[in-house]
Amino acid sequence: MKTKTIAQREQFTGWLLIAPAFILLILVFVYPILRAFLLSLYTENLGTQLQPVFSGFNNYQRLLGDGRFWQSLWNTSVFTLIAITIELAIGMSIALVLNQSFRGRGFVRTAALIPWALPTAVMGLGWAWIFNGQYGVVNDLIQRLGFMGENITWLGDPTRAMFALIVADVWKTTPFFAIILLAGLQSISQDLYEAHSIDGATPLQSFRQITIPLLMPQIIIALLFRFAQAFGIFDLVQVMTGGGPAGSTEMVSIYIYATVRRYLDFGYGAALVVVTFLLLILAVAIAAFVLSKSRVNVVGGK
Amino acid sequence: MSWAAFSQQPVTVRYLVQAAEARDFQPYVEAFNQKHPKINLEIVTGPVNTNLVEDLYTSAFLLGDSPYDLVYMDIVWVQKFAAAGWLRDLSTWVNSDQLKPYLESVIQGGSYNGKLYRMPFNTDGGMLYYRTDLLNKIGANPPETFQDLIQISKTLQQQDLIPWGYVWQGKQYEGLSAMFVEILEGYGGFWINPDTQAVGLDKPEAIQAVEFLRQTITEGISPEDVTTYSEEETRLLFQSGQVAFLRNWPYVYALASDSESQIAGQFAIKPMLHIPSLNSGACLGGWGFGISKSSPHPEAAWEVIQYFNQVDVQRQFFLKTGYIPAREALFTDAELVAKYPHFPSLFNVIENAVLRPPIPQYAQASDILQRYLSAALTGKKTPQTAMKAAAQETRTLLEIQS
Repeated sequence: MKTKTIAQREQFTGWLLIAPAFILLILVFVYPILRAFLLSLYTENLGTQLQPVFSGFNNYQRLLGDGRFWQSLWNTSVFTLIAITIELAIGMSIALVLNQSFRGRGFVRTAALIPWALPTAVMGLGWAWIFNGQYGVVNDLIQRLGFMGENITWLGDPTRAMFALIVADVWKTTPFFAIILLAGLQSISQDLYEAHSIDGATPLQSFRQITIPLLMPQIIIALLFRFAQAFGIFDLVQVMTGGGPAGSTEMVSIYIYATVRRYLDFGYGAALVVVTFLLLILAVAIAAFVLSKSRVNVVGGK
Repeated sequence: MSWAAFSQQPVTVRYLVQAAEARDFQPYVEAFNQKHPKINLEIVTGPVNTNLVEDLYTSAFLLGDSPYDLVYMDIVWVQKFAAAGWLRDLSTWVNSDQLKPYLESVIQGGSYNGKLYRMPFNTDGGMLYYRTDLLNKIGANPPETFQDLIQISKTLQQQDLIPWGYVWQGKQYEGLSAMFVEILEGYGGFWINPDTQAVGLDKPEAIQAVEFLRQTITEGISPEDVTTYSEEETRLLFQSGQVAFLRNWPYVYALASDSESQIAGQFAIKPMLHIPSLNSGACLGGWGFGISKSSPHPEAAWEVIQYFNQVDVQRQFFLKTGYIPAREALFTDAELVAKYPHFPSLFNVIENAVLRPPIPQYAQASDILQRYLSAALTGKKTPQTAMKAAAQETRTLLEIQS
């Protein structure tokens, strides 16, 4: 009898302790999402003089046939997947280098972080000039090296504009991967590598069999963070291409912004938000599932 | 403080202006306040970027209690703001005599459903800048038609007199729509008829207009990069003496005449091009004043509008700033012409003003056009398929929101 009351009291304290976080989550996550879902069932735009008129799933039906939305979703996915893959690869290399001890390491570590600390809009403006067809550094370099006589249009060509955006994003956010992975690397004991090499393992084998599995938590965290962040990219694109040419670099966030703020189409904008939100949750769930599976395999294989 | 003293406090009237223009307005605000002790006019300085100013106005109106009594508006915002119910109908105050001095298209651009929501102040219009020295060298007249421009450009380029023939705004942004409206007019086409809601983007005239622009790229008259240019890139290219023809707004005139410009004194302006049987069109821009519906002091706000509607105030303002007036008579005003000799030729441009469709959904319609136009200009789609799709999407938009 007495044990039960203790358990009950502990449970009560537990609920009490998580209550603030719980309430906060409801206020900043659950409420806005439900509100957006509710709004998406209404038509509220200039046609209705900004008054909400219930229209059921009309907005969703319209969304299914909205080529611009699917194109922007595709653009965002392409941008996100390519950018974070490259960032992971380069970030890992930088982390491995910075994990070695050499003279001036402290300085290099700090310097590597600078792109990450710059405001995106400012550096986006810089990259737009770098890729400028007439005055840009990239074309100048290519010509000086003798690869190409003509000026190349970077931001005016759909594929090359996407390429330019990815380059700018990689430049800016690779340090994020590098720092997170470096923190992970420093928590791996050197003894493991020593023992492994005594057993006759090559450095490459050590990397695959020790570093990667033990670094997996940091890799997953960094990937999830960057995935969510890259999927919501706005400022860089707005400054560099404005979504052009021909909408080929328009991201979901830019389309939603335009729908709500410039077209004043609130109901439809809410439907866009809800669908993007659900797709994003789905993508993260799948990614987390696949990653956790692969992690089990790595550990289980030992 | 007693109630009597309180009621004698002047009422405050505010409006939001871009930072650069706020400085131009400041002396007039002070002059107004001296003349009207019961009203305290205040400028709120906004960001330099027009889109951001629009965003600030939009947020303020959405939140209901707008801090702005007057709304200093770009011409393309009027119908949207009016349809959203954010503006007061000025028809209750304004009489037809006050509108007579202005061009009809300027008034139409400030109206929605037959009611006036914006009193005009300044205008803007697109035109053709051309190099007089180059044309003299080959003994050519300034181009009138699209064919003229192509021919002259080719001749100049073949004789190695200039690297490029023609530059225009080809980036996917509002400037692209503005530029295209003029080419469309020159070919006799139309975009959206505000009265019938008919869409003309897939008509042969519109497709020809796109084909002309595409041709300037494929035939090397315009650099391929032109599809990434906004106003400033094209101006710099023209000013550095690398191109014979430029489509741009009036602001280029002063900058290109500057001592730092390499072509000072070697260029002139004229209305845009057209096909032989038609007239040219200038995309109409410009700003004016409206009154916010949530303002508690509409009468005081109207006083301010009347102040800025005076010929003398406008003359002083445009004399000082060099912006383009909306009032017809000022283009030939002796004082203004003495300082800005190009004003009469500017009037020839503005006289042929064409409006971007004055409909509430303009921003969205413009985005649709920009995307497909950009696809056609970069060669991703043929002009025909691009414009068909643009017309289709525009029709759907007008159906959904009507």
